[in-house]
Amino acid sequence: MNGGVLALDRARTALLGPAGLDEAAISRALGELAGGGADLADLYFETTAMRSWRLEGGRVTQGGFSMRQGVGARAAHGGQVSFAHSADMREGALLDTVRAVRTLARHGDAGRHGQGIALTRNPRVHHLYPAIETVAVEDAAAWIALLRRIDELARMQDGRIVQVDANVRATDTTILVAEADGLLAGDVRPMTILSLVVIAEQDGRRARGQAGLGRRAGLGGFDAASTEQMVAAANMALNNLDAIPAPVGEMPVVLGPGYPGVLFHEAVGHGLEGDHHRKRLSAFDGKVGERIAAPGVTVIDDGGLSGRLGSLGIDDEGTPPDRTVLVEDGVLTGLMQDRLNAGLMNARSTGNGRRQSYAHLPMPRMTNTFLANGTADPADIIASIDRGIYATEFDGGQVDIVTGRFNFTTIEAWLVEKGRLVAPVRGATLIGVGHEALRHISMIGNDLAFDTGMATCGKQGQSLHVSVGQPTLRIDRMMVGGQAG
Amino acid sequence: MRHGEVETAERSGTQGLGLTVFHQGRRGVASTASFDPAAIERLVDEAMMIAQHVQPDPDAGLPPAHSLAYTGISPLLYADSPRDPDTLLTAAMLADRIASEVAGVDPRLRVGESVAVATEGLWALATSDGFCRSIRRSNDGRWSVMLAQDEGGSTSAFCQSQERSVDALAPPEQLVRTAADRARAALGARAIASRRCPVLFAPRTAMSLVSDLAGALTGMAQFRGMTFLRAPLGQRVAASHLNLTEDPFEPLGLASGPFDSEGIAGSARPILRGGVVEGLFLSSVSGRKLGMTSTGNADGFYNLRLTSSAPGGDWPAMLRMLGTGLVVTEFQGGKTDPASGNWTQAIKGLWVEGGEIVHAVTDVTLAGQMPAMLNGIRAVGDDVERQGALRTGSILIDEMQVGGKA
Repeated sequence: MNGGVLALDRARTALLGPAGLDEAAISRALGELAGGGADLADLYFETTAMRSWRLEGGRVTQGGFSMRQGVGARAAHGGQVSFAHSADMREGALLDTVRAVRTLARHGDAGRHGQGIALTRNPRVHHLYPAIETVAVEDAAAWIALLRRIDELARMQDGRIVQVDANVRATDTTILVAEADGLLAGDVRPMTILSLVVIAEQDGRRARGQAGLGRRAGLGGFDAASTEQMVAAANMALNNLDAIPAPVGEMPVVLGPGYPGVLFHEAVGHGLEGDHHRKRLSAFDGKVGERIAAPGVTVIDDGGLSGRLGSLGIDDEGTPPDRTVLVEDGVLTGLMQDRLNAGLMNARSTGNGRRQSYAHLPMPRMTNTFLANGTADPADIIASIDRGIYATEFDGGQVDIVTGRFNFTTIEAWLVEKGRLVAPVRGATLIGVGHEALRHISMIGNDLAFDTGMATCGKQGQSLHVSVGQPTLRIDRMMVGGQAG
Repeated sequence: MRHGEVETAERSGTQGLGLTVFHQGRRGVASTASFDPAAIERLVDEAMMIAQHVQPDPDAGLPPAHSLAYTGISPLLYADSPRDPDTLLTAAMLADRIASEVAGVDPRLRVGESVAVATEGLWALATSDGFCRSIRRSNDGRWSVMLAQDEGGSTSAFCQSQERSVDALAPPEQLVRTAADRARAALGARAIASRRCPVLFAPRTAMSLVSDLAGALTGMAQFRGMTFLRAPLGQRVAASHLNLTEDPFEPLGLASGPFDSEGIAGSARPILRGGVVEGLFLSSVSGRKLGMTSTGNADGFYNLRLTSSAPGGDWPAMLRMLGTGLVVTEFQGGKTDPASGNWTQAIKGLWVEGGEIVHAVTDVTLAGQMPAMLNGIRAVGDDVERQGALRTGSILIDEMQVGGKA
């Protein structure tokens, strides 16, 4: 269980106590913040503890620990946002931060003092992830043992694995949001990420493979099966040892299940964030209600999926997560909103108001974004390709919101000829335009899967954990940028 | 600012304290953003706890005391400039007004955002060998975004100026007009056919090639084998007319510094001379791993400048030298695999024939192998630009694989 009074109590202990703050002080500061006649004002308190271990070449070479905390104060008058933040959360610093926002805003009578705002504690609990601590000191030996198991498993795969670099990073974040409408909400967000990079070598050729697992859990969330999943890194490196130059040109592409769903994050999701629409910057501007993809294409953003890193009990503005259908059976249906943009667009927040930290402003951001299942057998989809690419892992991706042009780079892919995998190919960049790629989807598999918990999303310099997913699918025409002319 | 209105006004305040302890060859690291006594006590406990679990490494440990820069040249990194909210607001308003004027005379243009940022910071390093020095830095930034639109679609472009003093910033007129020119130049983009052809990287994309090269020469990349240039010292890794120099002491340089986070000073030195590697970027740990000593680069490289002894020229001259081929103006996304040197990018650019720009290109990929690309550099332009630590002119590469849909 998490959220509700439990999380508020945790926030009081972790955040307010050390700073000597209480709810009355927050109420006063919030009143001051909203006092200039703001349409929206909030205080966001956050504390984070992070612990990491690194096992390199079978030796524990690094450990790290960091603690960070602070408060962000925001006030908006229409679309004009004033924002200040401070790592010092004591009442004097808090009031100084709030006054800085008032000064920056240049609205209303700067000398007018706001009334304290009566706060209502958010009673809503959630069961998406537990309110646990993951960075306990006494767990060090167990974390290191976990890395050793992964290291051994990776080396056992093949004698050509010459380097193994295994890392774990556990993070505890506790947040408290106070909104000018009186909402006081808290959340405890545990997160652990395992990552592995291996190098395989043969005859002077070297190839890299990577894998990772991210969960909103502590040590207990990683069993033997999950450590075995990490071996994917070794397989990737071994495959890439034999990689041939990728072909170049427009051709059919099959994207495997899971992380390749980043296609929909880039090609659809970013273009459906409320801020881009309010500023009329999106390539999808004015297209809500129009058919933008083939029938059968349904894309959803759902912040309430259990076990996914994009899930949140409440977003960073205290709003519970929605399930927003972005594209339904090929028709553009929904936008993702935070409070600011929803307020300005006469819409409601969809629980997509997220921020990297207290020192960053919230924006409409994705949570878990995926293409819904189709009916095709994945084997039939590969078999349908005469000559093309089958890509199973990418290293990130980007989209230009204004043009809708996206790209991503393969780190594991094969050349397909006559329906068969011929050989692994070297990393190649795949490019396309969102609405064109969607129209060229011709087969959708029945094997929906999500990424393993390593997906991150960058927007205007802010990085967040998200989740992406899709079943195997075929795109009839896509530009593949290999080295083999 | 956009359309005469402030979109976002922000004041940031950050602080941090980091502690590194060495105990019998074991290293522990911890940091805190809170300076409360309780937080600092926890910081010490955590660093000591980590040191107990990390395995001893004979190569870890503080650098030898005699190697520390207790005294020495301290390049100017702080300039006293107006950085109050009014100054920034006025700067952003001026740029926004110019943007409206520029957009007002060309129906294809739309105003994007205009931004002004100022930062001041203080950083201090103290070690148990009695080293204690501090660095005060300032940073001023301005940028403008412009959008262009025609029947073929929309495009956006930006231009920025980043300096340590307000006086050194590019004037707003120049930023706005450059952003507008870049946005307009990308209009009317057409697909091209896949082919092998010469490629000219405009300075702000050429920088990423320099950055990939420098990244391959860092100590940890060398030690971990995460580099496409193995055992490179004394080897020719790039065309023989290329020189790369490092200068930590350039006054108000964006990547200048009197010492690194271990307290060791860098030096003005050649990294590449005649295409041959003469220096690596080493910390004390990576230096020991490789049987060498620190070069004062624990935090990466200082100001780097790529030059060439081959004939270069201004931008039009570089286009003439390109002849018929592709100009890269912007990277849209891609990856350099540090282990294999496999290089792949989606790009924005221009198609050039007979030294003249014919049209903008769209849906184009570019691929190569870093070692071959570095050896294939034919010329470096005189059209030098700086971004952060890197300074280079445009870079002409003899031949690369271009991918296109036409």
